[in-house]
Amino acid sequence: MTDPQWVPTVQDLRVKLCYICREEERYDSASEYLILPPSLPGLTLPSRTEPLAISLDIPSARLPNPTSHLAQDPEDPPRAWTHPCSCTLVAHESCLLEWIKSAQQDSSRAGNALKCPQCGATYELESDNPRILRLLNAVNAGLSAAGKAATVVGFVGLTATFGFTLYVVSTSYGAFAVKEFLGEEMYNVLLTDDPSVWPWHAFIHLPIIPFSLILSRTRLFDTFPIVPLFLTWSSSPPARATSPSSSLWTFNRTGAPYAPPPLSWPPTPIMGMILFPFVRITYRRFFNKLTRFVMGTHADAASRDGGPIRRVIWALNENGPAPLRVRIGANIQPVAGQAVPRAGGAGAQDGQGEPAVPPEGEGNNNLPDDPAAVAERTLHVTTSSLGRFVGGALLVPTISNRMGKLLYHLSQYLPWLRAFLAIRDRPANVPAQVGLFGAPVGNSHSPLRQIGAHLATGINIMFGGTPTWNAQDPVWWRNTVGLGLFVFAKDCVRLLHLYLTKRELESRKVKNRSFAGVDIRELDLINPPPESNASSTTEPQPAPAPDVTA
Amino acid sequence: MAVSTRRLQKELTDIKRDGTPVGIELLSADDFATWYLSVEVLGNTVYEGEKFALKFRFDSQYPISAPAVQFVVDGQYQAPIHPHVYSNGHICASILSTEWSPVLSVVSVCVTIQSMLASCKKKERPPDNDRYVSRAPENPKKTQWDFHDDDV
Repeated sequence: MTDPQWVPTVQDLRVKLCYICREEERYDSASEYLILPPSLPGLTLPSRTEPLAISLDIPSARLPNPTSHLAQDPEDPPRAWTHPCSCTLVAHESCLLEWIKSAQQDSSRAGNALKCPQCGATYELESDNPRILRLLNAVNAGLSAAGKAATVVGFVGLTATFGFTLYVVSTSYGAFAVKEFLGEEMYNVLLTDDPSVWPWHAFIHLPIIPFSLILSRTRLFDTFPIVPLFLTWSSSPPARATSPSSSLWTFNRTGAPYAPPPLSWPPTPIMGMILFPFVRITYRRFFNKLTRFVMGTHADAASRDGGPIRRVIWALNENGPAPLRVRIGANIQPVAGQAVPRAGGAGAQDGQGEPAVPPEGEGNNNLPDDPAAVAERTLHVTTSSLGRFVGGALLVPTISNRMGKLLYHLSQYLPWLRAFLAIRDRPANVPAQVGLFGAPVGNSHSPLRQIGAHLATGINIMFGGTPTWNAQDPVWWRNTVGLGLFVFAKDCVRLLHLYLTKRELESRKVKNRSFAGVDIRELDLINPPPESNASSTTEPQPAPAPDVTA
Repeated sequence: MAVSTRRLQKELTDIKRDGTPVGIELLSADDFATWYLSVEVLGNTVYEGEKFALKFRFDSQYPISAPAVQFVVDGQYQAPIHPHVYSNGHICASILSTEWSPVLSVVSVCVTIQSMLASCKKKERPPDNDRYVSRAPENPKKTQWDFHDDDV
């Protein structure tokens, strides 16, 4: 201690005043009253003990203490202190991390997040930041940039194509999506490239596809079916007549209703349409559980999975003027409000010594402190580009097509996969035809039996599929499976990213520095070195209290 | 107790104990959500003899998040005519948004604004005053400020 080269650290300060929360901590709360203020050097022992006795039975806040504004109860549990820069500012590590975290989430302030406001020194953060997290962050940033570009292009495109053009564009996109999703073969049977043979409902269905794809990504329209929209084509008759005879949609054999094999594989599109919501809900549940397990968090953060976007303000141009900003999602405020009390509770439970944010006040700044939630927020703020969101939605058909192709290639080597995907290399020769509506089923039957036969046909189609569908290679099925796998993989990557971000946030430490380079006489030390003792005659420094060094 | 309340309590105690710098007075601090302080520019400046009032609004994240600071514009007070002060009282100052730091306090913000006024040579409104005021949000923190000047 008497070493002239001795450099004090934050632990040697007698009074530590956090520059962020302005709470102070004294070396020893009892010594506070034993150390004499420099203005009263001649005080004798009896009067010394007097304030000490008072301090034991009245709240310390009311003590007449000339040096502290509001005398502190020693904190329980004590919070770690850090001296992160080259000047005399010190802070609670938790306060500083909180500040860094919040500043880094705002791109306009991020530059100052790691800079000391007084001396400008850069804080050094130490955290568990593995290469894969850096890679994920880089990919995320890249996608955001692509999204930004897509926003600009899309915005210009949308404006240019407004009105009828919008209809044409979305219809062609819809046709493209159907082609991608159902496979070229099925597309050529059901829709073809020639709009003149399209069934009438195609002109309603197709333009809706891009919008429903986009809406299906928002939580608001969570139940809006993507896959079913494609599958409505399943009950549609082929667009191009193969035989020029009467109606293609009729069959003139006997009165027997069309009967496909009772348990066909793959499931029929109509069954798929019915089952889709259940599969989706089950998957969501499963993934939420997984998320909760991995993140060690409350259901709240997980349940926002898939729908976080609605809470975010999309900035078309992040630094642009206010009118260019788009706010989507009417329930922004209620959700944020709900999240606060629950997350506050969770923050208190995990007992990291971080003060939980009380559920009072309002405004977007009042967000939970829980690292998992912060991790999510950190990601979502950067993923909030409108272009990325819309672009991602419109890529769904292409993604399912590519995934389906991948599965197809894989199935060449895996017989079980081939069986599961029910891959058929060429269509059955003569597609059977179904008399669904108004076909003359035969004169000998009573109307009741006719209705019965039609009903049976309907049920058969539901469970067995239409012959047109059954005859084709079920590209839609492997595309659906592929899309499912893709969604799962994407969710897993996102979860990994969340988990790593959370771990990074939790493991953060601000590098503590010694007071090297700072004039020791400026510091209020517990054990000042001898030379500063000598100067204490001129400087108003409290004398060291010999009785508290033990 | 919210972190902001504890911190503001300390600032208030400091003000009550040490007083405020010359030209700055605490008008009211009835709660820990909104404070009013008055600012006078002393000496030989273009604002000689004028007195302005600053309104501070704090959220529960203060001091991590910056306070919302604006000049009071009512029957009693007017916003100073200054190239960085809009006629609705909003102030274009980087320390109130991107350059905010928790090391700053209510008093230090007042001092900064006081010196911003003191260094002004010519009384004029910002060039885009009318456009800004017509569509400005009520809370200046919701404005995306564009800082064209470094000498603020």
